[in-house]
Amino acid sequence: MKIACVVHRYGADIAGGSETHCRHVAERLAARHDVTVLTTCARDHVTWANELPPGVSHEGAVTVRRFPVARQRSMQRFSEICDRVFLGRPSREEQEEWFRQNGPDCPNLLRYLETEGSTYDRVVFWAFRYATSFFGLPLIAERAVLVPTAEDDPIIRLDVLATFFSQPSAFIFLTPEERALVTRRAMRPLEPSTVVGSGLEPAGPPPAVPDRLGIRKPFVLYLGRIDPNKGCEILIRHFRRYHAEHVVPLQLVLAGPPNMPMPAHPAMLPLGRVDETLRQALLSEAFLLVVPSPYESLSLVLLEGWNHGLPALVNGHCDVLKGQALRADGALYYRTYDEFARGIDFLLEHRHLAQQLGRQGLAYVEREYRWPGVMAKIEALLTGLGRQRAVV
Amino acid sequence: MEGEAPVRVAQLMREIEEDARRDRRKQLLAHGGPHEYEDPEVYAIVDGILRRAVEALDRPASLFPEVLEDENQWRLELPLRYSSHRPVVGPVLLFIKRRMLLPMFRWLYEYSLENFRRQQYVNRLLFACVEELAIENARLRKMMARPASQGAAPASGQPAPRP
Repeated sequence: MKIACVVHRYGADIAGGSETHCRHVAERLAARHDVTVLTTCARDHVTWANELPPGVSHEGAVTVRRFPVARQRSMQRFSEICDRVFLGRPSREEQEEWFRQNGPDCPNLLRYLETEGSTYDRVVFWAFRYATSFFGLPLIAERAVLVPTAEDDPIIRLDVLATFFSQPSAFIFLTPEERALVTRRAMRPLEPSTVVGSGLEPAGPPPAVPDRLGIRKPFVLYLGRIDPNKGCEILIRHFRRYHAEHVVPLQLVLAGPPNMPMPAHPAMLPLGRVDETLRQALLSEAFLLVVPSPYESLSLVLLEGWNHGLPALVNGHCDVLKGQALRADGALYYRTYDEFARGIDFLLEHRHLAQQLGRQGLAYVEREYRWPGVMAKIEALLTGLGRQRAVV
Repeated sequence: MEGEAPVRVAQLMREIEEDARRDRRKQLLAHGGPHEYEDPEVYAIVDGILRRAVEALDRPASLFPEVLEDENQWRLELPLRYSSHRPVVGPVLLFIKRRMLLPMFRWLYEYSLENFRRQQYVNRLLFACVEELAIENARLRKMMARPASQGAAPASGQPAPRP
């Protein structure tokens, strides 16, 4: 099959859930199919500045076709449209304008989809919230497969999405909760579809955490961008209170680029961005992983933790995290400070049960999230779609 | 993992939530909370209703705002919209407001906006609470009106079944 993968940014050094998922899937699809990634020249998802050369290149077995972004994001215009759309009662035009301002504005990519899209058997779009998907998918809807990566945030409630979600010919979801969320917005059953999540390779032998970092055991680990939108403000408030009320010498280690001021605290250790080796070391030596994010379509960090047999404490307000915790029997969840503190207390007092939760999480990853299983589901969907069309 | 009995997170969480609820009730009573909370079953029902209201916050549609008359009279208008009725100097005034005055006073605008956002959140929460209570009340009325042969209202303290 000839498959196009449309994503807003692409590259081995580009972080971001949708982008990484797209790259992993494209690389594996390319083992059996002719795969082209259609993307932009941007590396920065805030500015969308053109940093990579336009044109065709080859990254392994994947052909990459990059198109320049016509204009960088204006933060002032974006902020104004956000206020209008999320704080008021936006018109349809204002909602569409939000997608335009969110970007990336890449008219040549859209033109290419319009003129050349039909030369592909399947066109798979990642992340509905970006202009490449929102304006690109309707141009080639009859052969479009959408990986929405939808979260239960204010964007998903925009009226225009009911129409948008009715257009793709198939869906690939990351969790059952995401499928339920998008189905509610589309107000119709979304078939054919599959829930695949993402794949993980088995964790290798763990490296040791360097002594110079000053990490004391036991420690709770937060991995990812340190950002209020990721629930970090509340996590820090909860942890400071926990530390003040308990005599347990527990440390909170935060590994990720900061996007908010970090209060100095003797029991909190912000490490900033960490490399892959240190990341693996932290995952293998932590006592507990904490995932405080209120919005997720699939928590890869949680899966990574389980891949190391690490139990977790997650935000119970997030249906996806709570669903993952319950399906895997690998994490406790909290909605209030009381439940946060009791969750930590319980796991500290019942270390053997904490370890068993971690092992159950690992067993869940083995069952559901290894690449061969994930790719088999995607292959079945893409191939089955062709058969359905042939019957029609 | 082979041979070990599985640990069920749902069961663990029920126990943790129950412990948290019990302690919260004691604390509320100790600090002068409603004496009705001396009955743990009453407390559990109140806790359940309020939690459902919080979860209902994200419901895409609800009845309460619909029955209020003119939403322009009560809905917070958070985004700052610029307009002028003057046909000639209007665009100039708008330019001055948008490009000169707003940058100077943006800090004040953002401070107010953050507080208005919180007020909007509280308003939505209160709407959801009132609606949840109305739903609970309607269900109980329906059950009480039902003939005895079809089953009586639930016993005191038992949460009413959700449809």
